[in-house]
Amino acid sequence: MATMVSPQAQRYVDELDEIWVERSGLLGWLTTTNHKRIGIMYFFTALAFFGAGGVEALLIRTQLIGPNGHLLSPQAYDEVFTMHGITMIFLFVIPMTTGAFGNYLVPLMIGARDMAFPRLNALSYWIYLGSGLFMYVALVQGHAPNAGWFDYVPLASKQFDPGNNIDFYGYGLIFNGISSTIASINFIVTIFKLRAPGMSINRMPLFCFAFLAASFALLFALPSLSVAALFLELDRQLGFHFYDAAYGGNALLWQNLFWIFGHPEVYIIILPAFGIATSIIPTFVHRRMVFFPLVALSEILVAFLGFGVWVHHMFTVGFATLTTVYFAAASLIIVIPSAIQLFAWIATILTGTPDFQTPLLFIVGFIVYFIIGGLSGITVAAIPFDQQVHDSYYIVAHFHFVIFGAAVFPILGGMYFWFPKVTGRVYHELTGKISFWLTFAGTFITFFPMHIVGILGMPRRNYTYPPGMGWTLLNFIESIGAYILAAGLVLIVANLAVSYVRGPRRDPPYEGDTLEWATTSPPPPYNFPVIPIVSSPYPMWDKDDRERDRQRLDRGEGLLNLGHQTPATTAQDAELDEILTMPPHSAWPPVTALTLAGIFAMLVMGHYWIAVGFLALGGLTLLGWHQHEASAAG
Amino acid sequence: MSWSEAAPRRLRRLLPPATIVTVSIGLTGCGSKQSILTTRSKPAHDIALLWWWMLAAAVVVFAGAVALLIVAWARRDTPGLPFFGEREDLSQGMVLLFGVGIPFVALVALFGVSDVYLVGQTAPPNPRTTPMTIDVVGHQWWWEVRYDGGRVDTANEIHIPVDTRVDVIATTADVIHSFWVPALNRKIDMIPGITNRVLLYASAPGEYRGQCSQFCGVQHAHMSLEVFAQRPAEFRAWLAGQERPAPAPLTARAQAGKQLFMTDQCASCHTIAGTPADGTVGPNLTHVASRTTLAAAEIRNTPQELAAWIRDPQAIKPGDHMPDLGLSSTAVSEIVAYLEELR
Amino acid sequence: MSEIGAEGVPRSATARSDAAAARVDRGRQAQPSGWWGMVLFLCSEVTLFGTLIGSYFYLDFIARRWPPPGIKAPEVLGPVVATAVLVATVPLMWLALRAARDGRRRTTVAWIAAAMAVQAAYLAAQVLLFGHDLRQFTPQGSAYGSIYFTLLAAHHAHVLFGLLLDGAVLWKVARHGLTNYWLIGVRGLALYWYVVGGLAVVVLFTVLSPAL
Ligand code: HEA
Ligand code: HEA
Ligand code: HEC
Ligand code: CUA
Ligand SMILES: [Cu+2]
Repeated sequence: MATMVSPQAQRYVDELDEIWVERSGLLGWLTTTNHKRIGIMYFFTALAFFGAGGVEALLIRTQLIGPNGHLLSPQAYDEVFTMHGITMIFLFVIPMTTGAFGNYLVPLMIGARDMAFPRLNALSYWIYLGSGLFMYVALVQGHAPNAGWFDYVPLASKQFDPGNNIDFYGYGLIFNGISSTIASINFIVTIFKLRAPGMSINRMPLFCFAFLAASFALLFALPSLSVAALFLELDRQLGFHFYDAAYGGNALLWQNLFWIFGHPEVYIIILPAFGIATSIIPTFVHRRMVFFPLVALSEILVAFLGFGVWVHHMFTVGFATLTTVYFAAASLIIVIPSAIQLFAWIATILTGTPDFQTPLLFIVGFIVYFIIGGLSGITVAAIPFDQQVHDSYYIVAHFHFVIFGAAVFPILGGMYFWFPKVTGRVYHELTGKISFWLTFAGTFITFFPMHIVGILGMPRRNYTYPPGMGWTLLNFIESIGAYILAAGLVLIVANLAVSYVRGPRRDPPYEGDTLEWATTSPPPPYNFPVIPIVSSPYPMWDKDDRERDRQRLDRGEGLLNLGHQTPATTAQDAELDEILTMPPHSAWPPVTALTLAGIFAMLVMGHYWIAVGFLALGGLTLLGWHQHEASAAG
Repeated sequence: MSWSEAAPRRLRRLLPPATIVTVSIGLTGCGSKQSILTTRSKPAHDIALLWWWMLAAAVVVFAGAVALLIVAWARRDTPGLPFFGEREDLSQGMVLLFGVGIPFVALVALFGVSDVYLVGQTAPPNPRTTPMTIDVVGHQWWWEVRYDGGRVDTANEIHIPVDTRVDVIATTADVIHSFWVPALNRKIDMIPGITNRVLLYASAPGEYRGQCSQFCGVQHAHMSLEVFAQRPAEFRAWLAGQERPAPAPLTARAQAGKQLFMTDQCASCHTIAGTPADGTVGPNLTHVASRTTLAAAEIRNTPQELAAWIRDPQAIKPGDHMPDLGLSSTAVSEIVAYLEELR
Repeated sequence: MSEIGAEGVPRSATARSDAAAARVDRGRQAQPSGWWGMVLFLCSEVTLFGTLIGSYFYLDFIARRWPPPGIKAPEVLGPVVATAVLVATVPLMWLALRAARDGRRRTTVAWIAAAMAVQAAYLAAQVLLFGHDLRQFTPQGSAYGSIYFTLLAAHHAHVLFGLLLDGAVLWKVARHGLTNYWLIGVRGLALYWYVVGGLAVVVLFTVLSPAL
């Protein structure tokens, strides 16, 4: 690897080090546009929100550990489960996958030196942070959103929820959505434009396919949520009547708009997890993915078909049978691309020589839980059955298996897998395995009994339940499981934290197949001293190609050392097209994000003119942003 | 015969022992009052049957996939497929077979059974095919139940004649609720501006518990109901009783209680037919003593629990719309005496 | 494949003159990142309008009378003329774009300025029409009013944003010339107006649908 650079190459590396030198200290982090630093900030922020959402989950489980629990008041319970859902979905999983993993890894995997729009990248982080804090301010002040994460009207209308709890929800999600929109545009352009020469679309790692698909889905799904939230706030604050049946509005308009966003959202959650799985499996199984093209196609199909199924969340609202049947059929069709991927992973593991180290264990756990969650998903796509178990704990079981089991497990595995990349050190393997078994068992014990409780008729979102319903024992087991799960997660974080200080250095830790392993761990700010030239989807297994890269470095060829340079290539065939110069650090992104926070804070408080003032201020910051023009518009 | 038994028992024999242990303990035992598997109507029964079949199929799929993973673990040092060795075409064929072929067949079958055939069962009944109609109106956090277009107005307890197809018209007075009596049928949402209908049918006399299953605010957890399926004669007697206006109070304490009820704020929220009380915020109390439960099946209708409710409803359902009126204990006991006579 | 750093591969940052930028623009095989960014941003905006228009027809579909009793069907002539005027700036933007890609700075500025003037007039007229409508019925009076005004306001906000973009690009191009960066800026601006012009037509037909 690049750790062993020859003396003549060292000269060029030093030169690049100097060009790409980063500001140090707090200011360095505040003004950074380096995708890796931004990824790390995303990571810690999302992890903190995971902790918050986890504490909320433990509060829920402690409240429900026995009948008639009274740890939380009913009002507090409603805020806690609502914030749990919002936190986990909008402030943990999405930022963790796209923000942290995507930011850190996508440029590395495609052999680029940064994202296409580095400053926008920083902006999307700061907006995300702002929107998260915005919603948590509400929690601290005791009026957090309290109508559930899908926030059905008219319960969420001013009439039935007169405080400003829901305003934090409405504006918080619009605020957060800006961040995600910017981020997904950035990912798509990065993947289209900045791939290393030779990395034509069909040679792109499946990880990037997954992120591309998720970004597209996010881009097209979010407007629906933003419009829904806009209508909600117009209704609540200015007395409009989008959702008010008495004035010709319609409560189902909200439900439709929410789920047109909400269902694609769940595939946006799972796709990056698929991507992580397809990165980890080949490395530890020592072979290429079985049926690569079909898997890539399936990833795209899942994202695409996900837009046509939203009514399966509304099977009980009384739509005509024909409508529901159509959406049930679509929900069943979407199983096929999922099943293709699932069996492609299984076939790869089966036909390879798997080395069941911690990251691969998490992926196996993911496969097992995705099957369980997916199968329960099929059962609720059967309309009559769903009409029985809708809004019962059976649904809670379904989505925690697909979300926690299938989306979070790859995140956890990925945390272990790329830890050596980010830190240059390796984690403790035995502790890793123990932490896996704890989380694996904890997940099952927590969420499996929820199927049964749901079938026994326990509705969700109940702050308590009476004894004698047959629910007591199962709820007790679930709560114990949640504590075991929490212990497993804390052990993961502890393992990584201790290994960061004390873990042995090993670089590279394993024979990874994609380009992030072509550079040192941690990578230098410019990622690659010499831009790799790629000829297959498994570039690190093409030893000759990498040898040629090394020779080019020795010769000082293709260094791109006239500023923050990176190559741009054509969208499909990745032919070298242009040399871009990236903008250096900038203080404007956090400032712009601050003005946005000002806008939304003023909107919640109803100071509309001050909000307009902040908007103008935000416009001015964008002018400052363009003081120094860079080579790429952005 | 009860709808729930025969078929599942046959099926359960097919399931691997481990599932029987984990699943059937929870599902059939425990005497749960709200299980979707102890059914007393054809639609609910068919759904339960569908569930058992889906469970069986899911167990097979799950076991098959996990078996592949176990084989992968056992052969972790040997590349290639068992028996066939390193054959990429066969690996791909495996993906197609398990990922496309088998699921496609299974899904088409499931679609046919559930979404083509069974949905008909759970669709709202044809308007003119039901001998009886009941209006159920969701309120935060109780159910208003009306017979004969409002001639009888009661709350939280629905009486129906056994073996009779009843058309329930489900609407709401405020936010979205969902009407759900698992033993008898699917659930149906109650949405402002929309009139939904669902069939209610019981094949055996009995008491069937239901619960609101759409989050509707702080007391969503305490919004239950009871359905009493009665033999037709009993049902007619009950209905006749409910049609009568409230009897005049007999004892002196009850008379005092009535006085208090009319002058304190009770009357502004509750109706008692035949008296000036005509509020519509809370349940109609004309025959409140004939109910077995109070406050949306949250407490039993005993004099003690009724008194506890009137003294401090907020202690029982915090955040409820019935306020704590700060009545003295004599006032409470007099009001209870009055209400106890409203049979 | 051309070697990295070899001659012939444009180094876009060095294109600081009008002519050099135009040469880079012509030399590219693929669209620049800024162009892609604008296309994707516009995808998101079009989806946003799609959702608004979908909501309009959803409410229309469930309503017994649309517009509700007491509200007259919308006036046709004024909005049609105004929209036609806005759409007329699309060719102006196209001309500006062509000039920019040829490296003709003055012509570019002239066409953008002309378009901007027309667009500003359009917005002024629309604001007047909006005020006129507000005196007839309000967004608080019915769901029809809510969606009607929201949809129009959303489009007007996009026109306003476009005017600000016009201004920024004009200022920058006038000051710095058609560097690579601002040439891409002009291309983005043109795309923006094509889409906003197209949306104007769709929005127009949506709000006029009760009168057609
Ligand atoms: C990561 C997120 C995620 C994923 C991937 C899925 C995947 C699926 N979901 Fe789920 N779902 C949620 C998250 C997710 N869901 C959430 C959050 C909710 C609730 C929101 C709320 O109410 O709060 C929900 C709710 C939900 C409902 C509404 C239930 C209700 O509220 O009443 C439905 C109904 O159809 C459904 C269906 C499905 C289906 C068919 C899939 C399929 O995509 C599953 C496909 C996968 C497999 C099937 C497994 C692998 C395949 C095989 C093992 C092959 C063998 C198969 C056969 C032989 C058939 N989901
Ligand atoms: C990504 C999504 C996600 C995740 C990961 C989880 C994780 C968990 N969820 Fe939840 N959940 C939802 C999404 C999610 N959930 C949603 C959308 C709802 C619906 C809300 C609604 O109805 O509106 C819901 C609802 C929900 C309910 C139903 C509440 C109700 O209906 O009344 C319950 C009940 O048990 C529950 C439990 C849990 C538990 C025990 C976990 C556990 O897995 C959590 C374990 C995590 C930890 C214990 C954190 C450990 C801490 C660290 C690793 C960080 C340490 C580091 C620092 C502090 C820096 N969740
Ligand atoms: C502001 C309105 C209001 C006032 C005043 C009020 N109630 Fe209520 N009452 C309600 C509501 C609402 C309910 C339903 C509560 C629930 O189940 O969540 C209710 C429920 C009840 C019930 C239970 C009925 C049932 O069948 O479940 C009784 C009994 C009752 N009230 C008696 C009284 C008496 C006696 C008074 C006066 C001392 C009174 N109420 C005053 C609103 C009111
Ligand atoms: Cu009514 Cu929940
Ligand atoms: Cu869904």
